[in-house]
Amino acid sequence: MWKKILLVTLLLATVLSFAKTPKDTLVIAANTEIFITLDPAVCYETFAAAVVTSAYSGLTKIEPVNGVLTPVPDLAEKWEVVQEGDVTVWTFYLRKGLVFANGDPLTAEDVVFSFKRVLTINKSPAWLFNELGLTKENMDQTIIAKDPLTVVLKTKPLARNIVLSIIAPPWGGVVNKKVVLANQVNNDLGEAYLTDKSEGAGPFIIVEWKRKEQVIMQSNPKYWAGEPPLKKIIIKDVPEETTQFLLVQKGDVDIAWNITTEQAAQLRETKGGNIRLVTTPEQSNEYVAMNCGWGPFKDEKVRLAIKYAIDYDAIINSVMRGFAILNQNFMPIGYFGYIELNPFKRDVQKAKQLLTEAGYPNGFEVEIITSTTDIRRNEAIIVQSNLADIGIKANIVQMPSSEMYAKYRQQGHQMIIAGWGIDYPDPDALAKPFANYRVKQLAWRNMWYDDHAADLAEKAGVELNDEKRAQMYKELQEYWITRSAFAMLYQPVGFWAVSNDVVGFERAVEGYTLTFDFTKISKK
Amino acid sequence: MKLGSFIIRRLFLMLLVLFGVSVLVFVIAKVIPADPVGAILGGNAPIDLVEDMKRRLGLDKPLMNQFIDYMSGILRGDLGTSLKSNRPVAKDIANFFPATLELSICATFLSVVIGIFLGILSAVYRNKFIDHFARVFSILGVSMPVFWTGLLLLLLFYFRLGWLPGTGRLGLFVTPPTRYTGLYLLDSLLSLNFEAFKDALAHLVLPSIVLGYSAAASIARITRSSMLDVLRQDFIRTAKAKGIGKRLVIYRHALRNALIPVVTIIGLTFGGLLEGAVLTETIFGWPGLGRYIVNSLLLLDYPAIMGGTLFVAVIYSLVNLIVDIIYAALDPRMRI
Repeated sequence: MWKKILLVTLLLATVLSFAKTPKDTLVIAANTEIFITLDPAVCYETFAAAVVTSAYSGLTKIEPVNGVLTPVPDLAEKWEVVQEGDVTVWTFYLRKGLVFANGDPLTAEDVVFSFKRVLTINKSPAWLFNELGLTKENMDQTIIAKDPLTVVLKTKPLARNIVLSIIAPPWGGVVNKKVVLANQVNNDLGEAYLTDKSEGAGPFIIVEWKRKEQVIMQSNPKYWAGEPPLKKIIIKDVPEETTQFLLVQKGDVDIAWNITTEQAAQLRETKGGNIRLVTTPEQSNEYVAMNCGWGPFKDEKVRLAIKYAIDYDAIINSVMRGFAILNQNFMPIGYFGYIELNPFKRDVQKAKQLLTEAGYPNGFEVEIITSTTDIRRNEAIIVQSNLADIGIKANIVQMPSSEMYAKYRQQGHQMIIAGWGIDYPDPDALAKPFANYRVKQLAWRNMWYDDHAADLAEKAGVELNDEKRAQMYKELQEYWITRSAFAMLYQPVGFWAVSNDVVGFERAVEGYTLTFDFTKISKK
Repeated sequence: MKLGSFIIRRLFLMLLVLFGVSVLVFVIAKVIPADPVGAILGGNAPIDLVEDMKRRLGLDKPLMNQFIDYMSGILRGDLGTSLKSNRPVAKDIANFFPATLELSICATFLSVVIGIFLGILSAVYRNKFIDHFARVFSILGVSMPVFWTGLLLLLLFYFRLGWLPGTGRLGLFVTPPTRYTGLYLLDSLLSLNFEAFKDALAHLVLPSIVLGYSAAASIARITRSSMLDVLRQDFIRTAKAKGIGKRLVIYRHALRNALIPVVTIIGLTFGGLLEGAVLTETIFGWPGLGRYIVNSLLLLDYPAIMGGTLFVAVIYSLVNLIVDIIYAALDPRMRI
């Protein structure tokens, strides 16, 4: 009996053979659970946006130029800008002979349809178009196809970088009007149809998304800039980080997308294997925010005390294992107008003194809410112990993101640990949420109703002179850093376990979480 | 009571249970102070957009209206549309359930074969080596977390030995079989795709062992105690006294009677597995119902939660009904 079982096991073992990944195919193990849709008018999640960006080209695209993320020409080869009163008129000239992946010609009509589609569907990305002054109500007057090769946009007067960045993919991705309309159901403008396949003109085509199994993309031979080196990309759904790490070590996948900080640290130590660690500063930040409408946090000195109490180094080194950069500014390092400001270092005496001056010599009790990830829990624990040192008793409440955002958006929290992903590579994308309460974003959620900061953020957003604009952001950052509701913990560093057969991943990932360029990747 | 009216009564009770489940899940989903729309739109979405979206989805209506809308949908056979995937919940369930069903069948098969076999051996050879072994096997099976067992087996059989594949239902470069039932083993046989059959079978081995092990442990324990009870009874002594062979006494006389409580455990285990085993599904990247429901829970995607829970309740009730019918058929006292 036992001999038979052993024989069957051995037979099974010998008949099974595992294919290694082919040379023209990139296989990624990733948790695709966060994917909601691959429709450019709806998609808003970081990794899914990278997939969408690879399948849809826009008038512009975001590209790192000398380390700075910059909007550069894509489907539009050039543009002109004219100021007409309080309206800015943008004229974009499309390249000649553009076609979609299916061979249909791409015209200004498709661009106009795609932009109007974002506004009509009115989901997550729509507010960004609204920021430009393009709305569902005025779109027929503001988004116009002048002729088959010319698109005209009429926007609010804004710094050029803002407009050119927001109209880039994913949400500015151009869809094939004819095919999308032919496949719409109940006048949904093809929203259901484009959920799991693509009809664009990008370097890749999304062939299939089998939920909780895999996303398959293949190269687009008709891409205007030439077919990319990779012929096929498979994103295999592997929700567990440890399993992802085993798969990449074994060589069954080329990239493990979601490894843990512990695994990344392990990889950093053991150089020279068949996989390498790739890192890049992320276009996001992590912060502690205090609700200025709640009790002690109404007092600026209390908020300052908290900023001095936090041990930033401990969070970066023990929670993030060094995969984070100290940056107490709301802007990421290297952005237009960025100035290095890291004035806060853990100083318990100073924090206690500030609390005493504010009338809280014995501290107080506060609730910290955060989401349910391990990183957030560990950050909260460190902040809790830091606050205990200055007499503040902090109670940590972890909750699912659905519950946390409900509370946060209703200004119902006292203190929160959260993060912010940047929507477009311009200081405006950060100054507005963090400093201008009038846009009802983070400053508003934390009831930091500061008119001076709001005015500065607003003026800098519409200033066309770069020198003046940079000066305004400098003033805003210096004003904001000590007075605001936020203690910025760090700028995260993204990390991936990548097979040594993969070439160019370091360049592809530059600018993540805002952009990701699969065309820069090839295999040995 | 006749068997027919027994079944009708049970079916009626089942409807009551399902109604109770839907009310309970609806109330729980609505009582939690969470905001599914905000979570789905992301942390950056401004409050105006979130409020607009809630209006469009009818989430700003009074609770009673929302409940009536939902229940009337169910009566029409419409489980609603998932807030996250924007697809009909019924379609999502139909998509993920076959993976769970296939894994549950394999895991149950393994657990029944191993559990009953070990149970009989340890009852017959009470306090001998095999009995001690079975006890250790059972304790380990019940107490080891599946998360740990799964990773350990993956590390050994996939990573170190390379005997079995890592994750998913099928290799990346294997053509999936034509879909008839969604069960890969069956579909690949029906479409004569033997490469897919071999690959699907290999992918099933590790998750089935992980899931089946803890179930086998419970079945082994119940079989052992039930067998011991039966083996002490008079009719077994009579059978032995009549000179019937040991094997015949055990398998024909004792086992048949000992299996009644075991059938219950098998039914419950199978029903439990059909809910989806979220941890096993996560480790092995298995696209099953458990992960679907748990992810919906985290986002509070309530049409998906309610649809998923109702579906699981139906399945569980049906499995229980079948177990009860088997019972009632075997033992008329149960029909009272």
